[in-house]
Amino acid sequence: MRILRPATLTEALAALRDPAAAAAAVAGGTAHQLQWSQGKPRPELLVEIGPLLPAGILPDYSANNRLPPPGATPSDFSQKNRAGSLIRIGAATTLDALHHANLPLLSQAAADVAAPGIRRLATLGGSIGWGAGCLLPALLALDAQLDTTGGPVALADWLTAPSGLILAIELAAPPPTAHLVWRKIGLRAGFSPAILTLAAVMTRTEGRIATLSLAVGGGIVPPQRLTTAEAQLIGTPPNAAAIEAAVAAAFSPPACPLRSASFRRRVAARALAQGLAPRAAAPPQPRLHLASTTPPLPPLTRHSPRWHNRPDMETKVAGTLPYLTDTRRPDMLVGRILRAAHPHARILAIDTAAAEALPGVAAVVTHRDVPGLNAFGILFPDQPALCHDKVRHLGDPVAAVAACDDATAEAALALIRVTYAPLPVVTDAEAALAPEAPPIHDNCNLITDLGLTRGDPDAAFATAAHVVEDIYVTPRQMHGFLETEGGHAELLPDGTLLVAVGGQHGARDRSQLARILNRPERSIRVITSPTGGAFGGKDELTVQPALALLALKAGAPVRLQLSRAESVRAGIKRNPMRLHLRSACDAEGRLLAQEVTVIADAGAYASLSPGVLETAMEHAAGPYVIPNIRTRGRLAYTNNGICGAFRGFGANQMAYAVECQIDRLAAACGLDPAEMRRRNLRIPGSPGFLGQRVAPSERLAEMLTAAAGSPLWQPVTDDGEWITGTGMALMWQGNGLGTLPTDEAEGTLRLTPDGAVEVLCGLDEMGQGLLAALQASVADRLGIARADVRPVTGDTGCTPDSGSTTASRGGYVVWTIAQNTAPGFTAQLLAGAARLTGLPPEALRLVPGGVAEIARNLPDPLVRFADLAHALHPQGLPVETTAFAFPKTEYTKGNARFIFCAGATVARVAASRVTGALRVTDLHLHTAAGPVIDLAAYLGQMEGGAVQGLGFTLSEDILMQGGRMLTANLDTYAMPTILDAPDRMQITALETLDAGDPYGPRGAGELGIGGVTPAICNAVADALGRWPTVTPIPPETILTFAETARGATP
Amino acid sequence: MIRFTLNGTPVSIAAPPDRSLATILREDLGQTGSKIGCAIGRCGACMVLLDGQAMNGCLLMAWQVAGRQITTIEGIASHPAGAALLRGLTEENAFQCGYCAPGMVIALAGLLATTPAADAETIKAALTGNLCRCTGYHSILRGALRAVALLKDA
Repeated sequence: MRILRPATLTEALAALRDPAAAAAAVAGGTAHQLQWSQGKPRPELLVEIGPLLPAGILPDYSANNRLPPPGATPSDFSQKNRAGSLIRIGAATTLDALHHANLPLLSQAAADVAAPGIRRLATLGGSIGWGAGCLLPALLALDAQLDTTGGPVALADWLTAPSGLILAIELAAPPPTAHLVWRKIGLRAGFSPAILTLAAVMTRTEGRIATLSLAVGGGIVPPQRLTTAEAQLIGTPPNAAAIEAAVAAAFSPPACPLRSASFRRRVAARALAQGLAPRAAAPPQPRLHLASTTPPLPPLTRHSPRWHNRPDMETKVAGTLPYLTDTRRPDMLVGRILRAAHPHARILAIDTAAAEALPGVAAVVTHRDVPGLNAFGILFPDQPALCHDKVRHLGDPVAAVAACDDATAEAALALIRVTYAPLPVVTDAEAALAPEAPPIHDNCNLITDLGLTRGDPDAAFATAAHVVEDIYVTPRQMHGFLETEGGHAELLPDGTLLVAVGGQHGARDRSQLARILNRPERSIRVITSPTGGAFGGKDELTVQPALALLALKAGAPVRLQLSRAESVRAGIKRNPMRLHLRSACDAEGRLLAQEVTVIADAGAYASLSPGVLETAMEHAAGPYVIPNIRTRGRLAYTNNGICGAFRGFGANQMAYAVECQIDRLAAACGLDPAEMRRRNLRIPGSPGFLGQRVAPSERLAEMLTAAAGSPLWQPVTDDGEWITGTGMALMWQGNGLGTLPTDEAEGTLRLTPDGAVEVLCGLDEMGQGLLAALQASVADRLGIARADVRPVTGDTGCTPDSGSTTASRGGYVVWTIAQNTAPGFTAQLLAGAARLTGLPPEALRLVPGGVAEIARNLPDPLVRFADLAHALHPQGLPVETTAFAFPKTEYTKGNARFIFCAGATVARVAASRVTGALRVTDLHLHTAAGPVIDLAAYLGQMEGGAVQGLGFTLSEDILMQGGRMLTANLDTYAMPTILDAPDRMQITALETLDAGDPYGPRGAGELGIGGVTPAICNAVADALGRWPTVTPIPPETILTFAETARGATP
Repeated sequence: MIRFTLNGTPVSIAAPPDRSLATILREDLGQTGSKIGCAIGRCGACMVLLDGQAMNGCLLMAWQVAGRQITTIEGIASHPAGAALLRGLTEENAFQCGYCAPGMVIALAGLLATTPAADAETIKAALTGNLCRCTGYHSILRGALRAVALLKDA
């Protein structure tokens, strides 16, 4: 690409008109780049027009004065606001300047375009020039005129036949009495592509509409004035029903996979009606809420003596923490992976000759380069390292390249010729199980089929007082870790293959790699820590096989990191589920029976999906006693990408369905949701769902009490647009891998030659606070300072196998390493200090910094750890190792958990009857996961888990069409922004354990997400009377619910 | 050759004019403090200050930064709000995995340079373009407000 910086507009226009130049005009360039990322070819020539165009705002324009030069501070319109004055805005004015200029309608509209960083680059002219900007309805409603190189033209006319470059816009300021309406509807509250934008300007005379402009646009909606509606309404009194009807009749919007045409029409009609003739607030609906006699649990805050700085925080804030994808060395090659061109196809041939011949290419690998088993998978190896006979999803890796730089590697990928024979694509889990469905692997597409029947559900349903039944649908949620999959690999001089890629279980990654590479495990070193977020999505192998093969073949270090688009395409997602529940209770609200049928989508490979489904089914009764139950869960292969582990691991999907069913039965019985739960809560010490023993310290009743006494049980309110209600859900999450898989851990404590108390743990720091937890556990148990403790994690070269950093098992593992190693390690330290000081070991104790004499109560140690280490023989430094199993039961008829943690979520949720948007204003999590190891880490896990659950519930889903992902990057995949997070969050922790409970802290990783979805849905039902059964909750559903809600008619 | 000033030091580099500044920083200059989370301006992990204003490094093309002053996370210590941000965010344990942190710090530095007494709503508006997947944002907001308090006391 070339850049032309013309001196004059004439020169710019000439370059743009030259058909041979393939040129495009550019100012801020932000929209260009989004289009290029979506596959639009880059122009050969960019003509920079920004400096040639006027910038800034003239609030009182006449032909005599001129716009300020580019870069001048924009004027503040409010200081000189004169009705009817002509405002002239230069085309090169940034949207940020527009936002801060206090212009009627336009500044508000500009604030809704993209995000601040983009608005500082993007210009008004560009926003208009693309013909689809969010702003256009506001400009149309203000009757904007354009000044272009082709002369003056009305914006509306220019949009139908764009020509010339836009120099400036001119518009008349509406009178101060004018009624202005602006609204943007997106996929979430902050920074969203537009589904719809709306603007209106209305003046009134004697109670009737005198002038009216109504404009719509945004995203795929052609920007337009709704002239027939305007004509119809002028002269009438502003009336919501009339406006709604007129707009609905005048507006024929298009549909997209994200939102229907009917949604856009309904929202346009309602929002313009609400804006011009707002609906009155309704009186609050009081609820019977008994004041709690139990004192509330205090919220966790940083204002506690237990608040410590996490050891890695300073380097993270300063950006100096090296992630594994940050390693740069001059001898490092850059890797890239070629992905499948079809979601399901036979591979007929792979030709890499041209790629290999490209100068700068060091290695090209395909299945032919796999020396061992070309397959992997945590549960069973069904996934190829590099595809050989067929591809099963669009993220399947077919080949990989290592080259001198990123551009060469990408050029080489484009030279690899793969010949495919496409196969029929399986896009639905239920259809995948039909006998005629094309098999994705050798046999049928059914991976697992599991379930149980207990009691006589049919008889119980037949005699029940109340039965509720529905199908709950959950999304293909993406983990969305900010650091995409990647790292580096090389063959070290001693023959060891180093693979450094963010992961969740280095020892298992090593064993899977050893099988693929046909190398002994001892000749492979895997570093997995630190990593920039994982949430289950880095549990399975990601880029390691391709990276290792490249490093071996090239004989040089290779680094590789997936782009976000590639990560979306190739990475693991949460298993979408269809959960059919039928639940029954007697007239008093006692649960009698439940039938649970689940179909889950595994995508193209199994990974941990069978475990996810199994965990979902294990939570099929939630924390309740249900005497008669029937469950069946089936998991199917499809060509929809790949799925597997994700925080909650099936339990949160099931909790969504079960906790909503409980509220529906409560409503049928006329019972308070908390009371309904109290009548059915499992009895501490009773067998678990599968009949297994359950660990002590169950805290469900306490969590229920905390939720029942929540201050969030306020009346249902209705301000005319937002109807606000409250809902709750219990959480009950099994910890550990269960009875069937091996679930073991090792850990070591040692004194290093430089005097650090080093704790060696094979788990991974992925943001959850492992380092802080290790420091805290060891320091607290030994009685030393956190600063004395140096955690070493996630490196098979120096840390033991502590098992996987998954399944809420890390807290127990960390705590147990400290518990088990502390006595022996302390004894060794004291013995060493005794030799050094001549005092008996019994007279010594550990204190922060070293060893002190018990008798002398001095703050400073008698012997510092560094001095002790120095004095001891290097081979005789204290070291203590432990190996143990995660607590299990003896039950083996199915995979059953032993340890559970409990909690309750209470949500206050506002639902817009105008746009169908939901806003979680308050989210309270009461949690009981045993003693909190590190306060900041615990608080972070709960708050972060909760907002991830909020995303699952409100906005996140990878939409698929024919095996292709429609939400292919972070522009349309809508994770919560800071504006989507709850306005207020509160976390409490009940830390007590039963007397004699030996199991210590419970897992904190998954508890936060478990109750969020049902609490939100139950709050929606509190406000609107009906339960959403599809997540993310379609706003169209909320519109429909609001129409039939209590007090819906005006 | 593209010439610009990076954290006070002149830099000149041969790069195609449409190569993004974020890529130049990470791939060509080895400055890996800035992260690339999406490469389309939607996550904010690559934010830099361009003449003091926070912008997405992945959307700034090489030709656009010629002759400009760029401040990255590597140069944040000498920013007027840098010390307060580093301390405030650290004390509040604002982050978890930390991958979004450099972009968040830069976005906040751009804000506090002009609005040192920013309130919660202003901070939220300024961070709308910065995604964090770990924290749920409240700890970041607490850290930013702590930085504001530190600036006030300074």
